[in-house]
Amino acid sequence: MATKLKPVDIAIVGMGWAGGIIAKELASTGLKIVAFERGGPRATNPDFMSPQVHDELRYSRRHELIQNLRKETLTFRNDPSQQGLPMRQLGSFLPGEGVGGAGTHWSGLHWRWTEWEHKMYSGTVAKYGKAIVPQDMNLQDWPIGYHDLEPYYDKFERVCGTSGKAGNLQGQKIDGGNIFEAPRAREFPNPPLTQAHNMVLFEKAARNLGYHPFPVPASNASRPYVNPDGVALGQCHYCGFCTAFGCEANAKASAHFTVIPLAYKNPNFEARTNSYVMKVNLDSRGKRAVSVTYLDAGGREFEQPADLVILAAYVFGNVHLMLHSKIGKPYDFKRNTGVVGRNYAYQSMGGVGALFSKDTYFNPFMGSGALGTWIDDFNSDNPDFGKLGFIGGGGISTGSNSGAPIGRHPAAPGSPRWGAGWKKAIVESYHRMTGVGSQGSVMSYRQNFLDLDPTYTDSFGRPMLRLTFDWQENEFRQLEHARGICENIAREMGAEQVLSRRERGRYSIVPYQTTHNTGGAIFGDDPRTSALNKHLQSWDVSNVFVVGSSAFPQNAGRNPTGPVGALAYRLADTLKDQYLKRPEAMVAV
Amino acid sequence: MIKPKIFVKAGWCALVFVSSAHAAGDAAAGAKIFAQCAACHVVGAGAQNAVGPVLNGVVGRPAGTYPGYRYSSAMRKAGLTWDEATLARYLSAPDKIVPGTKMAFTGIAGDQDLADVIAYLKQQTAQ
Repeated sequence: MATKLKPVDIAIVGMGWAGGIIAKELASTGLKIVAFERGGPRATNPDFMSPQVHDELRYSRRHELIQNLRKETLTFRNDPSQQGLPMRQLGSFLPGEGVGGAGTHWSGLHWRWTEWEHKMYSGTVAKYGKAIVPQDMNLQDWPIGYHDLEPYYDKFERVCGTSGKAGNLQGQKIDGGNIFEAPRAREFPNPPLTQAHNMVLFEKAARNLGYHPFPVPASNASRPYVNPDGVALGQCHYCGFCTAFGCEANAKASAHFTVIPLAYKNPNFEARTNSYVMKVNLDSRGKRAVSVTYLDAGGREFEQPADLVILAAYVFGNVHLMLHSKIGKPYDFKRNTGVVGRNYAYQSMGGVGALFSKDTYFNPFMGSGALGTWIDDFNSDNPDFGKLGFIGGGGISTGSNSGAPIGRHPAAPGSPRWGAGWKKAIVESYHRMTGVGSQGSVMSYRQNFLDLDPTYTDSFGRPMLRLTFDWQENEFRQLEHARGICENIAREMGAEQVLSRRERGRYSIVPYQTTHNTGGAIFGDDPRTSALNKHLQSWDVSNVFVVGSSAFPQNAGRNPTGPVGALAYRLADTLKDQYLKRPEAMVAV
Repeated sequence: MIKPKIFVKAGWCALVFVSSAHAAGDAAAGAKIFAQCAACHVVGAGAQNAVGPVLNGVVGRPAGTYPGYRYSSAMRKAGLTWDEATLARYLSAPDKIVPGTKMAFTGIAGDQDLADVIAYLKQQTAQ
């Protein structure tokens, strides 16, 4: 039996960027806040100290900072005719665990999504008509636009010390920045990172081809920086241990040393780590959340009453808790009705390898998580959807992020596959191999969704979340189009050999692709097609809010952390300025 | 074999000479350079160990001895005392002077900058 605890005002589930931001911002309310984190506490000292943090085996292969699948995992199938099977090894994506969440091991690509990326349905239909949208595509708008979020995008960049160059300052296009970005009120807080050699070649080649290259906005600080909260970030050392690692220099912005320590300063805030939230308990009518049930590190069960519950876990955690707690109607793909689990989307990673002459030295070991040069000429709604036959686009880029010895061992095509010959080939290729990659948007479809698995349960006895997902024709076309562009750029860069392959297989959950999962608890203006209203408030249980990329109706061709942080800051304002003044009412306008 | 040895020695002498020539660093300029350190180190009243140890009174202190900070074994065993010349050497290339140090910092280039930041550190006390 669960031990019932003294009531608190607010329970937050998850202590990544979203939960950390909300916890910090709500300190001013004076309300009693408890945040739950399934993983352990983390601090730069001692958890991410040099030199042991540069342990590739421990972090990049054995995934120390990632979700523990022995406790909970999901089942996967490509389509509804198959039996879902549990994901027993980490692969395609890496949900974070521990204080800071995925924000400790992210790379730092810190985007604002474009205007169209917040209005994919209406923006597409206005230009191409309704007929362009395939029957099975659940193409939907965000219920808010870019301009609603701009101040929050700005705030989050300031907190993170994002390094970049504006391409659209209050409507004025600036060469060298991303001229396709939506207008920003002011310049990035820090200048761009120093380019690597492959990026210099990419920039020149892209310009030669008439494109508009720019430095990737990076929350890897290019210089020492003190953010508006008074938190100091160190300068990035280009050590090349960023993605999958914590940062020993506090150069990669992460919630664990920015917003979360500020939340801890609030005497009314308490963090409970190593605590798995099992369920949100509703009242007898199922209309109001009354408490959360969780297990502590010793497996003891507690019930924590709270007046307001904020789900700020990873995509899968948010959707799983909603389904298991019966918050909102589960999605039924056959009828295309119900909302929780609807509009799951992902990203398609493509591109080409590029092998340069033997006297080329890219020094891939020098890098930073988000160090890259990018073009948006074929991203967002810049491609001609009508002519190309797909909706969406992809960012095309090259970067210098990691030359770590286990992960990076490129060998030229035709090299021996093992033994001394293979090793020799790696030595010959390591310094002269680079890539031109594409990161494609993925639309949402009826047949791609999340629900509860009818067969498998997790170690706590709850039905597992089931992921049903496969690539669709629209995404193959986009991927193929981007591959052609990548090839051209690689040749223009001067590659001796361009390694390129047409990809048309089914989605596989085995190789790592990207931790950019979206949807399942999307926000919108219509309760028939969204689980949350425009304020991220459950349509059905008004004292539950759900924040994260689980709210995105579909995925763009760029990373999701920027809008996740912006939505969290906006939600904090919504709660302070509106909800808490009239608790449990639906937040209007 | 003899030639490179002489060369190294000459270089080392030159470094000592340059450092001592700028021994009178500018603490105000050093305060700006300290921004590079401030992500990890705290100074002044109420300073606590953070990513790196508190630096109040660091000039003249034996290396690896600030109370309550968990140093790397390399730093504990370094046997150094942070006099100005040693600090200057360390801060110009930390992981060369103390291989295995936890301090993930590439170093400060320029003797004037080193002298300035050390002048700033000399002023830092717990009061």
